[in-house]
Amino acid sequence: MLGKRTIKGRIGFAFAVVMLVCFSLLPFAQILSTSLKHQFDWGNPSLIPQALNLNAYKELLGLTEVKKVEIPVAIQKILDNPKLPQDKKDAIAAKYVANDNLFPFGKYMLNSIMFSVGAAFISLIFAVMGAYAISRLRFKGQVVIQRSVLFVYMVGGVLLMVPLYQMAMNIGLASTMWGSVVCLFLIYIVQTLPVGMYMLGNYFRGIPFALEEAAMMDGCSRTEAIIKVVLPLSLPMLATVFIYCFIIGWNEYLFASVFLKQYPEFHTLPLALQELFVSKNAIWDRIMAASMLTLAPIVVCFLFASRFMKGGKTDGGVKG
Amino acid sequence: MASISLKNIVKNYGKTSVVKNIDLEIEDGEFVVLVGPSGCGKSTTLRMIAGLEQASSGDIVIGDKVMNDIEPQHRNIAMVFQNYALYPHKSVRENIVFALRRLKVDEQELQRRLVEISEMLQLEELLDRKPADLSGGQRQRVAMGRAIIRDADVFLFDEPLSNLDAKLRGHMRTEIGKIHNKFGRTSVYVTHDQIEAMTLADKVVVLHDGYIAQAGTPMEIYLDPVNIFVAQFIGSPSMNIVDATLHNDYLQLGEHKLPRNKLSAVSFDDEIPSEGQPVKVGIRPDFFNDKKYFTQSDSSFIFEAMTIELVEPMGFDKEVLFNLAGASIKARLDLRSDVKRGEKLDLLIDLSRVLLFDTNSELRL
Amino acid sequence: MSPLERAEANFAWKLVLPTIAVLSLLILYPLLYNIYLSFFDVQLNGDKAFVGLGNYTKLLANPDYYSAIGTTALYLLGTVVGTTLLGLAMALLLKDPFPGRGLVNAAIMLPYVAPVISVVFGWQFLFDPISGVFNYLMVDVLHIWTERVNLIGDPDSALGVVILFDIWKHAPIAYMLILSKLVSIPRDQYEAASIDGYGPVGRFFHVTLPELHFVLATVILLRLIWNLNRFEDVYLLAPNVQTLPIFTYYQAFTGVIDQGLAAATSVIQLGVLCVFIWFYIKKVMKW
Repeated sequence: MLGKRTIKGRIGFAFAVVMLVCFSLLPFAQILSTSLKHQFDWGNPSLIPQALNLNAYKELLGLTEVKKVEIPVAIQKILDNPKLPQDKKDAIAAKYVANDNLFPFGKYMLNSIMFSVGAAFISLIFAVMGAYAISRLRFKGQVVIQRSVLFVYMVGGVLLMVPLYQMAMNIGLASTMWGSVVCLFLIYIVQTLPVGMYMLGNYFRGIPFALEEAAMMDGCSRTEAIIKVVLPLSLPMLATVFIYCFIIGWNEYLFASVFLKQYPEFHTLPLALQELFVSKNAIWDRIMAASMLTLAPIVVCFLFASRFMKGGKTDGGVKG
Repeated sequence: MASISLKNIVKNYGKTSVVKNIDLEIEDGEFVVLVGPSGCGKSTTLRMIAGLEQASSGDIVIGDKVMNDIEPQHRNIAMVFQNYALYPHKSVRENIVFALRRLKVDEQELQRRLVEISEMLQLEELLDRKPADLSGGQRQRVAMGRAIIRDADVFLFDEPLSNLDAKLRGHMRTEIGKIHNKFGRTSVYVTHDQIEAMTLADKVVVLHDGYIAQAGTPMEIYLDPVNIFVAQFIGSPSMNIVDATLHNDYLQLGEHKLPRNKLSAVSFDDEIPSEGQPVKVGIRPDFFNDKKYFTQSDSSFIFEAMTIELVEPMGFDKEVLFNLAGASIKARLDLRSDVKRGEKLDLLIDLSRVLLFDTNSELRL
Repeated sequence: MSPLERAEANFAWKLVLPTIAVLSLLILYPLLYNIYLSFFDVQLNGDKAFVGLGNYTKLLANPDYYSAIGTTALYLLGTVVGTTLLGLAMALLLKDPFPGRGLVNAAIMLPYVAPVISVVFGWQFLFDPISGVFNYLMVDVLHIWTERVNLIGDPDSALGVVILFDIWKHAPIAYMLILSKLVSIPRDQYEAASIDGYGPVGRFFHVTLPELHFVLATVILLRLIWNLNRFEDVYLLAPNVQTLPIFTYYQAFTGVIDQGLAAATSVIQLGVLCVFIWFYIKKVMKW
């Protein structure tokens, strides 16, 4: 028998595994812990808060009441002036109602979702088409395209930030808010498309070609064979690729900072968190709570994806 | 239902030529088996009929329609794949009726056919399972069901039994034969197994190196092979081939002289003097007999006192090995012959079964 | 080409067209445009003035550039060695099934998928001079240091933290790659080696390692390729560690902006990257 374990070996093994898991999870534990601690508790090395503090989460999720700021009498007089149009009044009033300290987490999260889900979705569609062509169809230029995709996959964002910014500048996109948003959206598609294509291409190659041939013998056209046979079989992989692309977009900071820095209403979470961190309003519990909330969707997606991945669905259709 | 004709079919992959020139007529309702060693082009030929590959040149006609540029889904062909290619995400039921659903066949008719087919193939119990939960033999039956439920003009079989164990293979072979007798559809069946070819075919087509070596009924191929390749490929154990010399009156085979006028399977060319001409002699192991148990006839010839070097008992029959004219020769005897290694035995053959081949071209004389 | 083959090729082109379009427009073209830009003095608003090789001479005369190259080299060395070794150790440790392996796997993979922006704050807190556990351990528990140190504040020690962070975050991917190869080594090879008299160490060197050298080469090359361009993980954790990507970012978007110079830096970096990628495609690629 190989791999027989003595008691000593078992204890050593368990110890090593525990150490490894601790090493992996310590920063997460620290984030969670600090997000729940009161300020007096920060210097305490224990991970367990002495007193639970949920204020940071409440504040980020908008569960605290908006603090009413006293409007000075002089300003109130202006507001009471009936000649002033209503929208001007609102604008002035807003200045005094807006809470300087407020970190509109929900809005940033919505921005992040919009960019990463949207880009992942479009990317997935393109990737399915491209990966299918590259892995299944015979045409001239197949190898060149295949290699180019791999090459492009490995070119990092830093090499592209200057030319992409300049291109956007030249056509006037970078100087308007919506233009910048469009640019970033396109860039997220391009950043995720090669990975998606690479993953799907490999997966499609693993689906026996005979299945599509059988579908064609059963009267399906190529497109029908893809829709009725290949895609249903690829569902787990499609979900995985989607999540993978989503994570890339969700985590991206560089291009968001290049294109969106001056448009706070479109800040994504990474950008907003970094801005928060360098701002005066940096309070550990708030930063940590925001980190936790940024992290949570990814953890959920990841656990979902890893479970989804287990059912290798193609075995059985082809000889055992 | 339809006839198929392949006209000068050639298939090249880049510079390598897989199918070099195939000309074949398949009649309506005929069961044709394409047989040959791996790489002979048989599967490629089948896939070209299916439309899964395109011929580099030549025409494929099904019925009276040239199919070259017709996509597979429009050829009305059913096919059983080597690895079955069942849809893993669909139940057995949905696998079988997939094509009918696409054709929007009336639900009642669909159920009727499903019941009929699943009874015939004993699939009733399995209809709700997924392919992953089936054994190899069951998957094979589902693949058959998926093909025959349709009203296809042509059935194609691509080595359908090669993934089954020996016992199941024999059983399914019989089933396929029965199904063909029942439906009588034009069928093309690819295999490398000569027993499948012999048992199933109306017509056997032996392919070799991208060409048709010989096409004919199983017995024609067995008794009357056109060259050494076909002679050795069909029949098991394969035909013994021995060098010999041809003389005016006899065939010199080692120290044995076989009377030339009794070799009725050979057509001698009288114009060319054949004195001393080297030839290859082909004798099937099946045609040797133990002299003790066989009555002699006019055309019999006896190899006297051959030393048996090896005995391989197979149950009913046994294969024995002896030396003839410097070659190791195999003979198949029945269970009555109780010969042991090292003993001497008189072996009898019928001279009308002895075949001669040209030494250089390996073609039949 | 028969009509059916042509139809197939046409279909294929239709399918890849969107991909080709966006990738050429937003990656291949920018790479070329970048080379073009590197010969200009480029303003943030898009104004350009031709300077020939000026950016390159300026860059090569800049001591900060060489220091960035040095930092990058150290960063690459540390992360590649660390990630590969830790990934290998993890794979060897966890290759046999045990109860709870799925959970352990999930825990290990978490650093890899977690957003950089979130986890850097955890790390910053861990190394915080006032509240961090690390300083507490070094000063108050182990008494190795006499006073609390701001590790991330000092660029030299921050490089160490950044390397450790990268190992923590990317060892899982090395682990996955190595593990998938490791479990595919047929068991009978180990059985044969043990019958031939080899113990665990001998089996590791004579069976495991030879089977792994290919996947190890893959891991090393991929780490080199990815980490050469690594931006967020370094910049967000310790903006004072100037590897080449951060150096370029500062040139392009902060302080005295010089996008032409940044372009020139990127062009040189692209050259190095291409060598790695060429090597990868030639020697390692399987697809």
